[in-house]
Amino acid sequence: MTQGSDLIHLDHIDTIYEGERIPVIRDISLQVKLGEFIALIGPNGAGKTTLLETINGLLPFTNGVGTVFGKNIQTHAHSIRKNIGYVIQNFELDPLAPFLCKDIVMAGRSGTIGLFRFPSKKDWEIVWESMAFVGMIDYANRPIGKLSGGEFQKILLARALAQRPKILLLDEPLSNLDVSARRQMETILNHVFDTSDISILMVSHDLQYIPSNCTRIIVLDKGHIVLDDAPESVLETESINRIFHKEQVS
Amino acid sequence: MTEIPWLFLLPSLLGAILAGFVCSSMGTFVVRMNLSSIGYCMSHAAFAGAAFGILFDIEPMLSAVLFAFATAFILGPLSEKAKLESNVIIGFLFSVMIALGFIFLYAEPGEAATGKALSILWGSLFSITYNDVLLLFVLAFALSLVIIIFYKELLSVLFHRKLAEASGINTKFFYSLVLFFTGFAVALSLKLVGGLLVFALIVNPTSTAYQFSYDFKKILLLSPLIGITSCLVGFWVSYLVDFPVGASIVIVSAVFFAVALIFSPKRRRKRLFHKEKMNGVSDLT
Repeated sequence: MTQGSDLIHLDHIDTIYEGERIPVIRDISLQVKLGEFIALIGPNGAGKTTLLETINGLLPFTNGVGTVFGKNIQTHAHSIRKNIGYVIQNFELDPLAPFLCKDIVMAGRSGTIGLFRFPSKKDWEIVWESMAFVGMIDYANRPIGKLSGGEFQKILLARALAQRPKILLLDEPLSNLDVSARRQMETILNHVFDTSDISILMVSHDLQYIPSNCTRIIVLDKGHIVLDDAPESVLETESINRIFHKEQVS
Repeated sequence: MTEIPWLFLLPSLLGAILAGFVCSSMGTFVVRMNLSSIGYCMSHAAFAGAAFGILFDIEPMLSAVLFAFATAFILGPLSEKAKLESNVIIGFLFSVMIALGFIFLYAEPGEAATGKALSILWGSLFSITYNDVLLLFVLAFALSLVIIIFYKELLSVLFHRKLAEASGINTKFFYSLVLFFTGFAVALSLKLVGGLLVFALIVNPTSTAYQFSYDFKKILLLSPLIGITSCLVGFWVSYLVDFPVGASIVIVSAVFFAVALIFSPKRRRKRLFHKEKMNGVSDLT
């Protein structure tokens, strides 16, 4: 895949949840090229997570055409996902959960390694590199349930990076973190973008949580893309204040 | 205590070791996936199966095992298709199976038939044959292979199913695989422990192992060890004081769990943490 070609190509996509009538995202057309850092912003319920999970095939779309790496999402979901790192929105984890951080990061490579194969020395090297990259190498043997919110988020990012993905989908990686943890995470994300051959789509519901290296902002509202431009253009438009002001008022 | 030659007890002894191994190994997955009630479901499926066997002149134990297998087969796909929590499906199948059991018994009235069907729910020390031991051995071997070969996928699914799916793992397959092996483990352990108590053999040793480590690999080794020890000690107690074997095994495993709760290093740290929190010290690390 060369610089400039489409990694993600969505054409008039609708995604409806099972048992619902109204699509959560409607008529979404989107092209993402290699080397883009996109912030996907919008108020709560705008369809940001749905869009991410439509891209990696976790949610099937009902209309339109969607390809990732030139492959149809619907028919090649499993193989596509092996090259997409996904960091899920922060979730509650049992403090007594019986998992060590290194095993969780290695779990990110499970799909890439494939069935009937054991992790090799090289796989473990990638795990250590990913943990070192996010500054969590000293936490390798710590129980995952004992981490703080920021540490847990870094391990989830290391898990996604251990896949050696071409696309990184991040669902609200900066929310629920204190200021210091958020700054650290932002620095790490900028560093990931600077040092890897990767495209990043990062969901945020807050205009303040947009990393400085972001190359493009897509604004979603009520399931539609309402703005899609460079950060400086998007942040200066009148409509963005209206969309976010409305949420603050409600 | 009646003196019984050890050779006569050998199949039961081997059966106890293997049943302890398969049930408590599956327990490490079942407990983590919040599927603990699967034991109830399978045992009542076995009860319905036994009643079915009595009605149609089939060996009750055979039909009991077949019903438990069938339940294990449909549980995973049904829960996927209905997009419902597995515990809801387990509850649904549990009620269907007990209703079927009563209908079959109603159609074949008589105390002998009822007693025969209910005996599936208890278990007996001397009911294990070398054929049962062989089947349990094959299951234990297959289970060990599956755990070794698919360890990374199983761990990934246990940690977070959606994340595992997102990294390219076919989680439906592994979820069904766990349910399927649990069904086998329950069905083949019925004779020894009994349907009502096999559930405890799945949950207790694993819950005990969970008290001692955060490392899933260690829990996977520790849980079957505790399961086997519970079975052997329970077996010995049953032989010594003439208690029902299933009940003895369960009481022993429950005692192990109670002791583990008291001495668990995990809980000790938790207690210390809460104590320090009360005293105003917020961070232990």
